[in-house]
Order: sequence, then structure tokens, then C-alpha cells
Amino acid sequence: MLLELKGVAVSYGKVPALRGIDLAVPAGGIVTIIGANGAGKTTCLRAISGLVRLSAGSIRFDGARIDGLAPDRIVARGIAHVPEGRRIFPDLTVAENLMTGAFLRRDRAAVARDLAEVFARFPRLAERRAQRAQTLSGGEQQMLAIGRALMAAPRLLLMDEPTMGLAPVIVEEIGRIVRAIAAGGVPVVLVEQNAELALSLADHAYVFETGALALSGPARELHDNEHVRAAYLGV
Amino acid sequence: MVEFLAQTGLNALYAASYLSLIAVGLVLIFGVMRVINFAHGELYMAGAYCVVALYAQGRAPFLAAVAAGAVFVGLLGLLMERALFRPLRDNPLGGLVASIGFLMILQAAAAMGFGVRMQNIPPASQEVLVIADRVRLALPRLWVIIAAAVLLSALWLFLKRTRFGWALRASAQDREAAALQGISIDRTARVAMFIGAALAGIAGALTAPMVSVNPNMGHSVIISAFIIIIVGGIGSLEGAVIAAFAYAFVHTFVATFADAVIADIVGLLLMLAVLIVRPTGLMGTRDRA
Repeated sequence: MLLELKGVAVSYGKVPALRGIDLAVPAGGIVTIIGANGAGKTTCLRAISGLVRLSAGSIRFDGARIDGLAPDRIVARGIAHVPEGRRIFPDLTVAENLMTGAFLRRDRAAVARDLAEVFARFPRLAERRAQRAQTLSGGEQQMLAIGRALMAAPRLLLMDEPTMGLAPVIVEEIGRIVRAIAAGGVPVVLVEQNAELALSLADHAYVFETGALALSGPARELHDNEHVRAAYLGV
Repeated sequence: MVEFLAQTGLNALYAASYLSLIAVGLVLIFGVMRVINFAHGELYMAGAYCVVALYAQGRAPFLAAVAAGAVFVGLLGLLMERALFRPLRDNPLGGLVASIGFLMILQAAAAMGFGVRMQNIPPASQEVLVIADRVRLALPRLWVIIAAAVLLSALWLFLKRTRFGWALRASAQDREAAALQGISIDRTARVAMFIGAALAGIAGALTAPMVSVNPNMGHSVIISAFIIIIVGGIGSLEGAVIAAFAYAFVHTFVATFADAVIADIVGLLLMLAVLIVRPTGLMGTRDRA
């Protein structure tokens, strides 16, 4: 397994946010985490990226412990994170935003090649490369956040609610992008409230309820699971 | 009259120069650290005391004392980052209160080391640039103007043109998102604190022979600096420079043609007017306010 969480627990003060999570991400494909608001999905990604400290458990990436490392060291290992709410740098230009994603890379030629690739993947970003990022629409900002993460040439991509607040057409486009990224060889951990979309994209799925793992299994099976259908798919 | 106006303009340019060094440092620290550094006026004071110790008492060349002051105060900034702001990183109010405590420590240290009396510092140079009959600029004041222009241009190039400067700007806009790009929070904090503190130290060191150097001298600049960063838009370096010039010119002209107390009042009114018309300051945006 590329990424392995064992018994991961996180607390905000005395409030437990995650309790004993076991989760595994293989070296290819899409793993999704679904669940209600406050179920601990975002906290789980933040724990992997080192933005919050574990109170128990361990996280291994490529066999080595990464829990306890600073966020920038975890990026250096090859984990990129598209945060909830996009979190692009509003006063930097589109191109500058993308280049921050490559901050740790020294291979200039490869960075230039990846930048061209991101612009090819997201032509809208190419058109607006000199514009300040805050002038972009919501969908374009999400593309920018994804492009920025790809500029790190990651070995694993974490995505937190990439479809939040976007129009249905854009949501579909994001879905295609996520699929293309995984098909291109970068495994994706996708956190989503849009369970229908997430289960249609993912190979494997985890269901979080109030900070604990409620269910897990192949996405196709969970899609047909009665509890999942009633609680998350609204059918 | 024209000469009198020109002379007052030069005085204002001098004031704008050292005030913008102080205000830009304050903005840089706020941007990256999210802490209002109340001890910033005392960092300026510490720079002045370096000149007292090395130049007035130690007989070192003036500019060497200034350089040493910049490094020493920059190191004080690193100390503040490590001892105060890093442990209190998730507690902005805690950082502010800690900086007030540090302000008192620096004042007490200056008083214990040098006494509370005003320091006597010989002029760094007796030379005067005579532009016209009644338009003159003492050479040490010209140094302040040149130093501000050079240092602020260098800072601008560093922030806009270098990789680490980019990282610093990204970090100032969203520290957590910057960390997710591999930008070390500790490193950007150290660099911002060193540069911000060193700029205040240079301002204090360069102006030391021309102002009254005493342990409480920080008060006289910190109020002006706060007005400037609020007028400029908290978080905006360009705004801080523009506001420093606007404030210094208004203040100097009113002080010259009316008096200094009225000038202070007009300075505050300037801040009020800007806040009413543009609550985020001249160059501020909603995100940064």
C-alpha cells in the first residue's frame, strides 16, 4: 500500500474529531471518503498532510512514518493536497500560483514541461495566466488549486471537496479531471459530500460517521449498500 | 517662500524615508506572522542604542555601527520569533501580548545598560548639501533617504523576483495553503522577522544622531507607524510606503506651518478619513483586513 493509516485519532482540544481510523490507499486508482458534515473527512486529510497532530495511531507513506513531520516535509515526500475551499493565493497571478506548487522542485526543465501540461489540461488558466487569481470564477479557482497541486509532481493527490459550491456542468468537468489524473498514474484520495459522484469515480470507498469508520469496501458495492443509499444517496 | 516650501518638502522626504522603513517592517511581520508587533518601536530604539554603544562610546565608524545595529536587531527579531511567536503561533492575541512584554524588557534593558537620560551622539557628518541658499540637507539625512530607497527597492525585488520572495508573499496570503506547497512556515517566519526587525533597527541607527535617544523613544514612532499601516491597508507593503509618504508630508507641513500637536491631530484625522472612505485602507483588500 502506498499510504496506510493505522488507528489514527485526532482531537481538537477535548473534542475527538477522528477515532481509530484504519485506511489504505493502493499505488493506483481513486479512493474516496464520504460522510456527513463534521464526520472527520477533512480532518483525516489534514492529518495526512501534517496540518493537525495525531493523538494516537500512525501514518505511513511508501513504508515510512510521516506522522509528526512538518507539512512542507510531507509535500517533499510526494503528497500534494488540494484543500477545502481551494485556498488559492488571491494576490498572486495564476502563473505565480501554479509555480508555488513547484516550490520544492529544482528540475527546471521538468517544471516547465509540467506547467505547459497544466495549461494544456486547463486552457482557461492559460488564457488568464497573468491575471490575479482572485479575479477567477469559482470553477476556475478550483482548476487552479488542482493545477497548483499537480505542479508538485505528486505521487499521491489529496482532494478535499473539489466540487463544493460549483455549478453542475463544472462538477462533471471536475469528475473527468479527477479520473484523468488517476488514469495518468497519480493515485487520488477524494473527500466528497457529493456521494453519488464520489462513488461513481472511486474504486474503493470509506464511509465516515462522527469521526469513526462506519463502512468500507469497493465503491460499486457501497453504491448498492442500503445504508449508504438511504443516508448519502437520498434514495 | 518657494525655498521654504522646498526645505519643508525635503524634511518631509526624510521623515517619510525612515517611517516607511519602520512601517514596511511592521507590515511584513504582520503579513507573515499574523501578529501586530507592539515591540517594533523598541526594535527601532535598539538600533539607535547600537549606534550609542559602538559609535558614540565605542568610536567605531558610523556606518559600521549602523550595519552592526541592523544585524543585532535582526537577531532580536529571530529571538522573538523563536521564543515568543512560534510557541504562540495559533494564538494571535497571545503573540500581541507577548510582544508588549518584550517591549518592556527591551526598554528596561536599555535603561539598565545606558541609563534613562537622553544620549549625546556626535553628528555622523558635519557636511551639508546646499541645494539653494535656504534649501539645505544635512548629509546624514540624505543617507537616510538613500538607505530607504535602496533597501525598499531591494526588498521589492526580493519579494517579486525571487523564489523565496514569492514564497513569502504566498505565506502572507494564506500560511496554511503555503505550507501545503512545501513552503516551510518556520523558515518564512524567520526571514520575515529578521528583515522586518532589521529594517526598524536600521531606521533607529541611521536617525540616532538626529533624534533624542532614550529608552522610551519607540513610542514616538510606533503611533505614526500604526497610523501608516492602517492608512496603507494592513498587509500591503506598497500601501505602507505610499501612506508613509502621505503621512510624513501632511505631518511635516502642518507641524511647520502650525505646530506639532496640531500635526498629530491632523495625522489621526487622515487615518479616520481614509477609514471612512476606504475601511480596508488605501491598498488593503478584504481578505487581508
